[in-house]
Amino acid sequence: MVKVPPYLQPGDTIALVCPSGYMAIEKAQTCIDVLKEWGYKVKIGTTVGSHSINYFSGTDEERLINFQQILDDDTVNAVLCARGGYGLSRIIDHISFRKFKKQPKWVIGFSDITVLHSHIYSNYGIATMHAPMAAAFNDGGYRNEYVQSLKNVMEGKSIKYEVPGHEFNRKGEGVGELVGGNLAMLAHMVGTPSDIKTKGRILFLEDVGEYLYNIDRMMHQLKRSGKLDKLAGLIVGGFSDTKDTERPFGQNVYEIIRDIVKEYDYPVCFGFPVSHEKENYALKVGVGYKLKVGKSKVMLIG
Amino acid sequence: MNRKHFLSSFLVAGLPLPGWSAWRSDGENDAPAAILPRYLKPGDTIGITCPAGFITLPEIQPAMLQMIEWGFNIKVGDTVGKKDFTFGGTDEERAGDFQQMLDDPKVKAIMCARGGYGFVRIIDKLNFSKLVTQPKWIIGFSDITVLHCHLNRNYGIASIHSKMCNSFPDDWNKAEPIQIETILSIKQALTGQKMKYTVPVNPLNKPGKAEGALIGGNLKLIETLAGTKSDLRTTNKILFVEDTGEYLYSIDRMFWNLKRTGKLEKLAGLIVGGFKIKPDDPGEEFGRTIQDIVLEKVKEYHFPVCFDFPVGHQRNNYALKCGVKHRLSVSNEDVILQEI
Repeated sequence: MVKVPPYLQPGDTIALVCPSGYMAIEKAQTCIDVLKEWGYKVKIGTTVGSHSINYFSGTDEERLINFQQILDDDTVNAVLCARGGYGLSRIIDHISFRKFKKQPKWVIGFSDITVLHSHIYSNYGIATMHAPMAAAFNDGGYRNEYVQSLKNVMEGKSIKYEVPGHEFNRKGEGVGELVGGNLAMLAHMVGTPSDIKTKGRILFLEDVGEYLYNIDRMMHQLKRSGKLDKLAGLIVGGFSDTKDTERPFGQNVYEIIRDIVKEYDYPVCFGFPVSHEKENYALKVGVGYKLKVGKSKVMLIG
Repeated sequence: MNRKHFLSSFLVAGLPLPGWSAWRSDGENDAPAAILPRYLKPGDTIGITCPAGFITLPEIQPAMLQMIEWGFNIKVGDTVGKKDFTFGGTDEERAGDFQQMLDDPKVKAIMCARGGYGFVRIIDKLNFSKLVTQPKWIIGFSDITVLHCHLNRNYGIASIHSKMCNSFPDDWNKAEPIQIETILSIKQALTGQKMKYTVPVNPLNKPGKAEGALIGGNLKLIETLAGTKSDLRTTNKILFVEDTGEYLYSIDRMFWNLKRTGKLEKLAGLIVGGFKIKPDDPGEEFGRTIQDIVLEKVKEYHFPVCFDFPVGHQRNNYALKCGVKHRLSVSNEDVILQEI
């Protein structure tokens, strides 16, 4: 049984960290203000708006130490990764989850943060939160239902996402623990100690900026490594800014995925609002959900 | 009876078996020993097929003419000239064409016309039972890494990592020496010459000597085969990697994948070929070179590492025999890889 960290209460502290790419403090300011408005205290990690001059928000050591401190800090009730980018693969094997295991707290983020979701769920059976990060709050974004869903999920409200159908949807109902995230990261982790477990579970996928052929190749990797055949359900999120080669691939991303899972009979929905775009509902990784896929309507309840 | 077979029966008959624990200590000892397909002789037939991207018949002409000049016959597969968007025919057509090349006893070697993308879509549709009883050389690189890995992992059949039809110069007389030399290395590999490569010294190399079966190919493909039944086993082997068009951060992530899937710790040696790097986006400078990326991952290991090996998406891309035992010697004076 998965361990669910305590939901947040007013007055609790949310810490912001950047375990991967660099983020200027100004870009996180709205997020900080809004979290305070929501009634939380905010602690800002040294990796947010750091002195780093390259891609990362600090050296591996700096990112590791900051993440570890925040993870183990008794005054911190949730860890919100301010942005993704790239970098968790470099430090994940050095993070100690010893204290976290005994006193779990919500770890929140998406994209590169998929490494944490998958690693924590597979190794420690603790739920995490796949949700919008700091940049999503900017330009009034904090008012939209997706950023609001982060607030609702952190508060422990029950979830019922209802989204329109898609012509490729495969009708049905599935119940299982929800796992998933960024496809490129899930593929990259196959065979590593952070590898995702999918059997009997509902899998969700999203990605950004990938070539169609590469999406096809990654889906084949998931399939050939046995991660698609025993799902309780499949949620296909947004795949934004997909790229094509000079010689066109000939299928769009949803056609690619539809064809790869056509031999199975679990429910599949397309166009679910989990993505690198505004449409990105907060989802609890590791927690049991019910997925109901109809032609005109899809519901995810948990 | 081939020599290998003879030796192993001699061992069983004449020597005491090693202790059970020695057999059990490492599952990778169960990996099949290298099976060497028969080398080609004049008059043998090479089949050309497109398991991945499409190519036209005129585009393979220079390769055909050259291989005919070497004394071989050519069988052109149905997929040459076929086109299903980026692919050389539908999955069924490509699998069908490759299968008949595998099964045709007259075809002694198969050259993939080009890479691109698509092998992983058909690999599980192929039946290798005939290839296992009558091994033949399969030639290619880039996307064909799928096949090299699959053969090595499952059947221990050696294969040739080299340029393909689309790299043969149009006009042999106008070709540059490096083009001629690399294309000729395919012939050398196919006809059974022992391979030897002298590599420029890079001051960042890690010196040492290693012996082991040579395996490898395109790094991205090796990563995306992790966890599948084509996943490479690398213990006691010499691994070579190359890639093209990837960001440095992505190359870094792929080397982490090698490390985190346990592919680096028991290597005999590591050969880093050409990496055509996609420039960092402005403001996203990765701040590390390819050498930094590699050396960081292998710093706790003692096997030799060399950079700038002439393999990759580049002109100096020599034929390499995958699955065949080689000796790698890296020193401050010279770097040599040779077949043993």
